[in-house]
Amino acid sequence: MIIPVKDGERYLEELLEALRREAPDQILVIDSGSRDRSREIVHAAGAELLEIEPSEFAHGATRNLGAERTTGELICFLTQDATPCPGWLAAYREAFTLGAHVGAAYGPHLPRPDTSPMIARELTDFFAGFSPDGSPVVQGADGPSFLSNVNACYARACWEEIRFRPVAYSEDQAFGVDMLAAGWQKVYHPGAAVLHAHDYGPVEFMRRYFDEYRGLRETSGHVEAFSVVGSARHVAAQVAGDRRWMAEQGLGAVDRARWTARATVHHGGRRVYSALGSRAERIPAPVRRRVSLERRADTSAGPADASEGARQSPLPPPAVIAPKLSHEVYEAAEQLWREGPAPLVEPVPGMADRRRLRLAMAIPTFSRGSGGHNTLFQIFTRLEQRGHLCSAWLVDPYGYAASTWPAVLREEIREYFAPFEGPVYKGFEQWQGADVAIATGWQTVHSLLRVGGCRARAYVVNDHEPEFYAASTEQALSEETYRYGMHCIAASPWLRDLLIDRYDTSAEAFQLGVEHDVYKPRPVERRRDTVIYYARYVTPRRAVPIGLMALAELKRRRPDVRVVLFGTGEVLDASFPYERLDILNPTQLSWLYSEATVGLCLSLTNFSLMPKEMLACGLPCVELAGVSAESIFGADGPLALAELDSNKIADRIEGLLDNRSEWERRSREGIDFVASHTWDHATDEVEAGLRHALRLREAAAG
Amino acid sequence: MDLTETGRSQEDLARENERLRARIEKLEAELLDVQARTNAAVAKWQDRAYWLDRWHLDLNAVMRRPGAAEARAALRAIRAVARFFKRLRRGLRRS
Repeated sequence: MIIPVKDGERYLEELLEALRREAPDQILVIDSGSRDRSREIVHAAGAELLEIEPSEFAHGATRNLGAERTTGELICFLTQDATPCPGWLAAYREAFTLGAHVGAAYGPHLPRPDTSPMIARELTDFFAGFSPDGSPVVQGADGPSFLSNVNACYARACWEEIRFRPVAYSEDQAFGVDMLAAGWQKVYHPGAAVLHAHDYGPVEFMRRYFDEYRGLRETSGHVEAFSVVGSARHVAAQVAGDRRWMAEQGLGAVDRARWTARATVHHGGRRVYSALGSRAERIPAPVRRRVSLERRADTSAGPADASEGARQSPLPPPAVIAPKLSHEVYEAAEQLWREGPAPLVEPVPGMADRRRLRLAMAIPTFSRGSGGHNTLFQIFTRLEQRGHLCSAWLVDPYGYAASTWPAVLREEIREYFAPFEGPVYKGFEQWQGADVAIATGWQTVHSLLRVGGCRARAYVVNDHEPEFYAASTEQALSEETYRYGMHCIAASPWLRDLLIDRYDTSAEAFQLGVEHDVYKPRPVERRRDTVIYYARYVTPRRAVPIGLMALAELKRRRPDVRVVLFGTGEVLDASFPYERLDILNPTQLSWLYSEATVGLCLSLTNFSLMPKEMLACGLPCVELAGVSAESIFGADGPLALAELDSNKIADRIEGLLDNRSEWERRSREGIDFVASHTWDHATDEVEAGLRHALRLREAAAG
Repeated sequence: MDLTETGRSQEDLARENERLRARIEKLEAELLDVQARTNAAVAKWQDRAYWLDRWHLDLNAVMRRPGAAEARAALRAIRAVARFFKRLRRGLRRS
């Protein structure tokens, strides 16, 4: 039991007598310069007394001192004017048995008989809100952070981990915020009640509210809103509530009238002073000191009599910002650095050759048209059809899919990409282990490496993702993902070679497939004047500004050419007129490719699926030379390659428009070339890669 | 080490290995079976729960709210009254 005291003789005797009845193991009173009979009362009650200088007192630091000087597993705090009701300590003892991780408990403040109706109603209503049915309530991270050291009890382990911040006020509120953020629970127990109410006069009340809201601002950043009209409405509503309460309590008409006037002043003053308190830093220090009931002029953390040096500091008072997130965005990386990857399960001989494998695929968030996800689900749906047990696990560090529940995610996957039959989970809470855990984007790697129960891990790499970013945290973290020794299955030979050369990792390649049932020449007349361009501006690696310059040059040379931009929801500004189609579905795309004369699709990183789909429809396509396309098509294959130069790209397109024999050759060769590029073949390659990952694991385990 | 000293011959060890391999195979098959049934059960539940998830409806949470049990009881009472009148009307028609 710890009770900070200063001039507390009014209720101290009653409080200590009540405590004698509750029989705690230890009572420590910390006196900070009382000039009344407080110390005599403490001595007479046989309680332990610790005396400190008034200047040493601070709400947080003094309570930490008290906790350090006591030894019990439960540490209770009372203020000098809070008298425990019978059963108070037993209620606290019970509170700590109600949850596995209860770190603190608190109880209601009951009004004393002479408490004003406004305060009595406020206290009653306020605490009733924590437990409408009157039973103890366990509060976690999603519950209220309220705690009050007027009447609270802490588990020593929790206090040792969190400790009271060295703030001048509202140390209990700060503790409530901190402990919940750290994963502790607290309990509101209606049985742990104390009689407590401040009986200040109207002006003292207002000054106290000034201090309270200044403390709230300092600990939680809360700024009380204020407007004249809103305050008038608030005061009217509060006074009406007080009058109803007084009527229920049976107060006479004269008393009701007297208290109505007082209530108007009380609520009005509270509104003004609380708004002032939460903006205290804008008020001159001498005025602040006069307004404060505690005579405190400073606005930052620290005791009232901060040193002269501190007062002269040019630093503005820092704002203490309350936590809003339950963790940092890339916490998974931090956890991985701290604890390392989870160990793999011992291999079972021959596991790589089993007909059915348990495959768990971690995927990043997606939207309609996500090319990488389309690749993944085309393949995983086929792996499912071959008997493998597949599941998908969404990793969402940014919270993009926070409002999308798992059944909806699954349906979106089925609607956007492929008829995936397996379950879809958000996060890894329900993780069940896997023969191969498969990362599919850099955001998924750190989390996936932390889950256990896996026999092997593999990394399906759709693109060299560090190139998506300028120098940044994301670039550094995505580069790092290739260095954890996961066997990589890369979506092109170019990408495979890059991973091996740059990151010295084991890697193999698969070829993206084409849905030949959809992407085939459609029965529509081929136009001779139409260039279509995949102008996905939101994807910087698509080099859209260069593509637009190439088309502008083409239009300058051939004003009659028809240009169609597609694949973007935005209307792009260009120096030439063009037609625009939005984001199209695969069937619509196949008709567009069957009608157009030349396709233009640029990629500054790995080769994408779109040029293959164009070729499958007999549409010659222009891509960038010197990046990744040569690794699939060769230097002079069906794809027309151009250097990263808008004039040379325009030359290539113009050549295909003008030279009919070249157009026909590339169209024919394109159809022939991609005929063998099927999703079934891609699935063969990925399946072989997954089995290879298991074999590597077996070999590593000896 | 001389195997005969431990009282176990090469044949004994080979038999023991074979038995353990068979045991592993059996456990592996069970694991696959459990995983297949888990995947199927969760996927089936997700199929059924689509609209609940789409509308962010957690019926357990809804039914824990104050008044939910009373509202359900009221609905049941209304349904009982409606059924009573339906039966009554059918009875009157028959007669």
